[in-house]
Amino acid sequence: MPDQSTQSTHADNVTPAYRTLIEHLFSAARRTKDALLFSSAYLVAIALAESVTVLIALSLPANPAPLVVGLVTFAVYMGDRLADVDTDEVSNPTQSAFVRRHETLLSVLSAAAYGLALAIALFGGPMPLAITLLPGAFWVLYASEWLPEVGTYFQRLKEVLVLNTSIVSLAWAISLVFLPLAFVNSLFTPAAAVVFVYFFLDSFVNTEIPNVHDRFADEAIGVSTLPVVFGVARTRQILYGINLALVALVTGAFVRGVLSTPVSLALLGGLGYTLVVTAFVGRTTRHTRLAIAGEAKAFVVVALFALATVAGL
Amino acid sequence: MPAAMLVLAVVTSEVLMLVLSASVAIGAAATILVWRARPEPGATPLVGLLVGQCWWSACILFQLRAPTQQGILLWTDLSWIGVMTIPASWFLFSLDYTGRDQYIRPRYIALLFVVPVLTVLFALTSDYHQLLYVVSLSSNETGVVMVEEAGAWYWVAAGYTYLLGIGGMVPLLGLLTSESSTFRGQSATLFVGLLVPWATNFLYLAGLLPSLGIDPTPVAFSISGVAYLGALTHFGLLGTVPTPNGRARQLLFDRMQEGAIVVDVHDNVVDVNDSCVSILGIERRDLLGAPAETVIPEYERLPDDGSLSGPLTITTENDSRPYDVTVTAISNGRGTPIGRVIRFHDIREHLRQQQRLTVLHRILRHNIRTETNIIHGYIDQFADDKNAQIVKKRALRIDEIGEKGRDAIELFDEVRGGESPVPLTTLLEQCVTTARNTHPAATIQLDVPDETVVVDSVLEPVLSNLVENALEHNPSENPHVWVAVDAGDDVCIEVADDGPGIEEYELNVLDDGIETPLKHGSGLGLWIVKWGVDIADGDIRFAANDPTGLVATVVVPRCDDAKRL
Repeated sequence: MPDQSTQSTHADNVTPAYRTLIEHLFSAARRTKDALLFSSAYLVAIALAESVTVLIALSLPANPAPLVVGLVTFAVYMGDRLADVDTDEVSNPTQSAFVRRHETLLSVLSAAAYGLALAIALFGGPMPLAITLLPGAFWVLYASEWLPEVGTYFQRLKEVLVLNTSIVSLAWAISLVFLPLAFVNSLFTPAAAVVFVYFFLDSFVNTEIPNVHDRFADEAIGVSTLPVVFGVARTRQILYGINLALVALVTGAFVRGVLSTPVSLALLGGLGYTLVVTAFVGRTTRHTRLAIAGEAKAFVVVALFALATVAGL
Repeated sequence: MPAAMLVLAVVTSEVLMLVLSASVAIGAAATILVWRARPEPGATPLVGLLVGQCWWSACILFQLRAPTQQGILLWTDLSWIGVMTIPASWFLFSLDYTGRDQYIRPRYIALLFVVPVLTVLFALTSDYHQLLYVVSLSSNETGVVMVEEAGAWYWVAAGYTYLLGIGGMVPLLGLLTSESSTFRGQSATLFVGLLVPWATNFLYLAGLLPSLGIDPTPVAFSISGVAYLGALTHFGLLGTVPTPNGRARQLLFDRMQEGAIVVDVHDNVVDVNDSCVSILGIERRDLLGAPAETVIPEYERLPDDGSLSGPLTITTENDSRPYDVTVTAISNGRGTPIGRVIRFHDIREHLRQQQRLTVLHRILRHNIRTETNIIHGYIDQFADDKNAQIVKKRALRIDEIGEKGRDAIELFDEVRGGESPVPLTTLLEQCVTTARNTHPAATIQLDVPDETVVVDSVLEPVLSNLVENALEHNPSENPHVWVAVDAGDDVCIEVADDGPGIEEYELNVLDDGIETPLKHGSGLGLWIVKWGVDIADGDIRFAANDPTGLVATVVVPRCDDAKRL
């Protein structure tokens, strides 16, 4: 039996080792979280979840659209972060430092992601390829130095109230809804129209939520967003209004038999979740978490659909 | 068709589509990376080239998947957009990347794209003419088949494509032999990127490559894409660009202070820089193409290669100036002479300086000595007067200063005479002998190597001043000086003494290289040492001796060319 002093020494050795292990685990978790957040990789998961929602809502067979949407999402958002690395240094120094540290790797990864997305879309035919190229085309048009007149015109669109958010939402909704349809040569049905409007307005809300935090910076550079023009409280009310309009749309589609029960329940549940998130707009200082919470609705919808299906609804 | 062959055709087609999609994926990724590199020179045309490659590959893939004959023809016609974009973009890239951007003007670009645009138009309207394809009907055992052959314009387009391909390679060839491994790597990968699809296309056109009835060139784009990606990520393509090289050399030639004129082997002027235009006082347009003997005075005196002995005086309407003329022969890669560069260095100011030094030398040599001799003569009449002795001592000092001044001027004269090698041992023995004569109470120890070490004779005043300083500034009745030589690749000469050392400010003035009324040394000796060492392309260091005194270490290169002794 070891004596007391030996036991004590042994315990002393174990505790620091245990602590070191915990610290390592926490550090690794923190680094992973930063990498997912700053590289926009988490958006890929959200895009995948939304694409799966479209497939389910429109009863489409499994096709590569979610994969393509995920890859394009990563490429476009990563490209944006690489392009804005200098301006982000002031507004988001941690993200900017991460992007700068891994600039070459992230640049190659984002380019490779878009390349892979296009190669996959090729097998769907010219239409999926064209839709996959759409975000890239928008990106080219925004680059004012490429086609100065067109570029400047598009740059100005970014400053126009509602239009700026609508362009982003439209591109997002087109990719999400039309790409799966194009892959299986499916027609644009009433259900597709409802889902399209749902994602268009949902993206609109998700784009305006972070604008509350950015309102002073946006105002300084002459960009008109809802919080800049109407203030925080009125923005919150407008976002409530949009969400409630979506509730009415989904309910109407359900009543008319356009959407199935599990899909309708899942979408309505998701809208309820967004209403709660919207309630925090302007009432919390955790802006990044609020923005991510809004985007995470996609997971809530998929989870609710799974529950509804399992429950036999 | 037998079942086995059908399966093989299907499998081959699937593999082909996979390779084509891979080439699109790689090409698109490279396009994005290149796009981000804008506005680097060459980036925009390279984007055009890569987009052209992707477009062509995509069209071939859609052609393979097209369910109808009409679909196949449509994608074939559309593929011409990519086919014709590639060579034009490659040519523009090559010009832009190698700094020949003066040719990248809208009108030239428009001209460059005439053939590609016409080709695409002919392809899209091929139903109405047979310029691009000649379609005929033929019958075989399966029935009537449509046979499509190349039309007249097809060969125009093919010839134009190959012409631009080769034209684009020419400016990049120089980079292949560049001293920089980065540029060699860049150009090598660019060549691989271009040559692999071109070779594939050539083999296809020559009927040497099996195909499924489609042009397999886009398949090779997968290799091109990898090459371009490698060039971008590994060899810093668009990151380290050779664009300024040609312009920088031209700029240097144009703006250099020396006049420079280039003549060909027939002695006609082919290039001239700005300085030379003003030196010769002749307009550039009159100089270019003119026989050199009509624009350069005494042209027949100029050597084929090397410096002209003596200055050349050039007289213009406003001025007349002397120039040092240097001729450098230019040879091509095989060593054949192709011309000469003649450089004119204005030496008017240098000659003026030389005149001033000559006058100063005379004053120091003759006038000061004469005046001090007269003072001595008078002072000797008051030999017992203490004050008179002080005046005599001071007069001697003035004479010494004059002597140092003469040494300094002679030192600069030696520079004009060029390097003059002498054995170091002889030089040191002379210095020590002189010092022993002037300081009989001193102990001077000389330690020289057995081997013959040859140095520049300009070291003579350097070493004699060092030894003399070591003795003069030592208040001891029996001063000691040690002179030692260590001969390796360079020659290290150490002069050590047991005197009081040297004041820090004296060394600081030497380091600064300039004196002011408030900050100056105490004489000329140390300056002569410094100037002499500099002229001999050497270095001098000072350190404290143990227990007292100074160690001066002179390090100079050896001049072991015995023939010059």
